Amino acid sequence: MLGVLLKKQLLETFRGFFVSQKKGKAKSKLAVVISFALYFLLMVVVIGGMFAMLAFSLCGTMYQIGLGWFYFALMSLMAILFGVFGSVFNTYAGLYKAKDNELLLSLPIPVRIIMASRLLSVYLMGLMFSGAVMVPAVVVACIVMPFSVGLVAGGIWLTFVISVFVLILSCALGWVVAKISGKLKNKSLITVLASLAFFVLYYYFYFRASEILQGILKNAAALGESIRGSAYPIYLVGRIGEGSLSAALIVTAAVFLMLALVWVIMERSFLKMATSDGSTGRIAYRERAVKRKSQDAAALGKEFGRFLASPNYILNCSLGTLFMVVAGVAVLLKGQLLRQVLMEVFGKNPDFVSVLAAAAVCTFCTMNDMVVPSVSLEGKSLWIYQSMPISAWQVLKAKMNLQLIMTMGPALFLCICLLIALQTAPLTAVLLLLTTMVFVVFSDAMGMWLGVLRPNLHWTNELYPIKQSLNVLIVLFSGTIYAIAMLGLFLWQGFKIGVTLYLTVFLVLTAAATAGLLIWLKNKGAKIFAHL
Amino acid sequence: MLQINHLLKTYGEKRAVDDLTLHIAPGEIYGFIGHNGAGKTTTLKSVAGILQYDKGEILVNGISVKKEPIAAKQQIAYIPDNPDLYEFMTGIKYLNFVADVFGVSAALRQERIRKYSDLLELTADLAQPISAYSHGMKQKLAIISAWLHDPKLIIMDEPFVGLDPKASHLLKGMMREVCDQGGAIFFSTHVLEVAEKLCDKVAIIKSGKLIKSGTMEEVKGDTSLEQVFLELEG
Repeated sequence: MLGVLLKKQLLETFRGFFVSQKKGKAKSKLAVVISFALYFLLMVVVIGGMFAMLAFSLCGTMYQIGLGWFYFALMSLMAILFGVFGSVFNTYAGLYKAKDNELLLSLPIPVRIIMASRLLSVYLMGLMFSGAVMVPAVVVACIVMPFSVGLVAGGIWLTFVISVFVLILSCALGWVVAKISGKLKNKSLITVLASLAFFVLYYYFYFRASEILQGILKNAAALGESIRGSAYPIYLVGRIGEGSLSAALIVTAAVFLMLALVWVIMERSFLKMATSDGSTGRIAYRERAVKRKSQDAAALGKEFGRFLASPNYILNCSLGTLFMVVAGVAVLLKGQLLRQVLMEVFGKNPDFVSVLAAAAVCTFCTMNDMVVPSVSLEGKSLWIYQSMPISAWQVLKAKMNLQLIMTMGPALFLCICLLIALQTAPLTAVLLLLTTMVFVVFSDAMGMWLGVLRPNLHWTNELYPIKQSLNVLIVLFSGTIYAIAMLGLFLWQGFKIGVTLYLTVFLVLTAAATAGLLIWLKNKGAKIFAHL
Repeated sequence: MLQINHLLKTYGEKRAVDDLTLHIAPGEIYGFIGHNGAGKTTTLKSVAGILQYDKGEILVNGISVKKEPIAAKQQIAYIPDNPDLYEFMTGIKYLNFVADVFGVSAALRQERIRKYSDLLELTADLAQPISAYSHGMKQKLAIISAWLHDPKLIIMDEPFVGLDPKASHLLKGMMREVCDQGGAIFFSTHVLEVAEKLCDKVAIIKSGKLIKSGTMEEVKGDTSLEQVFLELEG
């Protein structure tokens, strides 16, 4: 029974690689290879490469002073942080809110088997993220440290133990979220706030990482002794990487004991949580006077309602809004310092600073991608729009307007803050503003284009279209590529024509591409949406 | 009210609806029966403008569903077999959303929401999120939303599934009221007793083709509808 459910869960997790989201049919071999190649590029080359570089900077120094275990312990802590960060937001929805919960519960399957199969998804997600840190860490250790079988075996075992520990933490946090959300009225708001607090902490450490690492390397010996004395389990974790069998046995036993404890706690409440309808008490209905809204306003209101009702949607698709506001305030506060640093670095090419500012705002804008999954999120409710006297173009516009409203204001704010801080020349400032604003529309239209072309209306968990979709990945990548191209082309040849003409060319090209996308959406895209 | 002429809808090689012609006059409750996969839902969805069909013509009150879909849909209300509504909305928000899209004035919508939600005993639950509704409650909400804009033609796919006996009885009364006011109802059902008692006309579809249609008397004669259906579907 467990085997069948695990197979179903694996099929669902990796469905996007093998099945066309548009046609619901099996992909060609070439398309499967491309999907895997893109995934490989992101997880192994980009993320794995980043952690491999970090590992190289730590491993040699630590090994030389006899603190190999400290290197493994540090990388393990990073893997735990990254793994939990990557999977915690999926855990609650993945464990308790899967759409096929009721179907499975109606079948003669023990609840613990359903729970175990759900945990597989959580485990795989945690393994993927923690593995992106641990695998490069082990490979680097094998290169830098003297090679031995113990080192390889220890590294592999440590990767496994860490992935299980990530599962434990994710489950514990998912369970806490489920417990709290069962009693909260403004669940979305509170979940979003709690998650944002988590983000703030995460990025606080992330941005101070270099400083922290320098401090660690400088005081490695003293820190190592201190950890060994006061946080012995961390020392043991590090020792596993060095190939210590006794450490491996002790830590593994402890981790599995914790897993058993989490399992027992979760098993007791799984059925209740999985079948909870989310209501927190009866709300009395009182008739209130309403104003008639236009079709466009009603459709936009519906999109906002969908967006604000889902913490997953908010957290995965609108972080750009928050980051742009925070970055804008930071730029205002530290504007002088920023200008000073940029002028020191790019003093010989001051125009580059303006292009850099435009590219930075565009990158932030790309973090907002709520339009991408918006068609897929219609799911089985698509019939409502399709049977109503509202044009498909109006519906698509409402979806795009949500993203525009959430992005344009903050982007404008950040732009103005940067322009003030960098004391940009008036003409360049106007062009910078126009370029970024047109990019906001371009990114929006591109997201809608992908959303209409490659919808997934048959999801069982909203996280699939929101987070685990190739569409989202493409939009995120293309925004980054756009910013890199903007910078790269300027450094390559663009500086020769001057920043004003360069930004004008970029503006015209982006506007042309945007117009093309909007024309396509209004005609072909609307037709496709009307009969999905 | 509804004219379906030579409708053809294919899924790949399969002809889901094959040269179907059917006319419904104002004031008629028209039942649509057939076995599972016969083409009932495909026909109803084509009439509602949800599915694109390959050939033929569908006119609602003289308006082509293909050429003027928005104008045609303004005349129609559609209730699917499984009411998948916006679960993130409350009942009242959903009704207001539907009323806004159909352009129902504030006064009229309040009057109709009050009337039909009281009738179907859903008023007390209108402030609850739809995610907390039972299947029957969702069905009731879908019915109220369908009646909000005073449609000329109501298309319903298995409308009695999930409704309690009282709500089923009330729905039948609501259907008759629409027809008495010059509207028309086109609905599919597997409950032949309901079709026999409620419908003015009935059509039987098999493998996408219309095999019999007409007034109840013309179709069933002296026997029961069930008997006729079983013989034809044989």
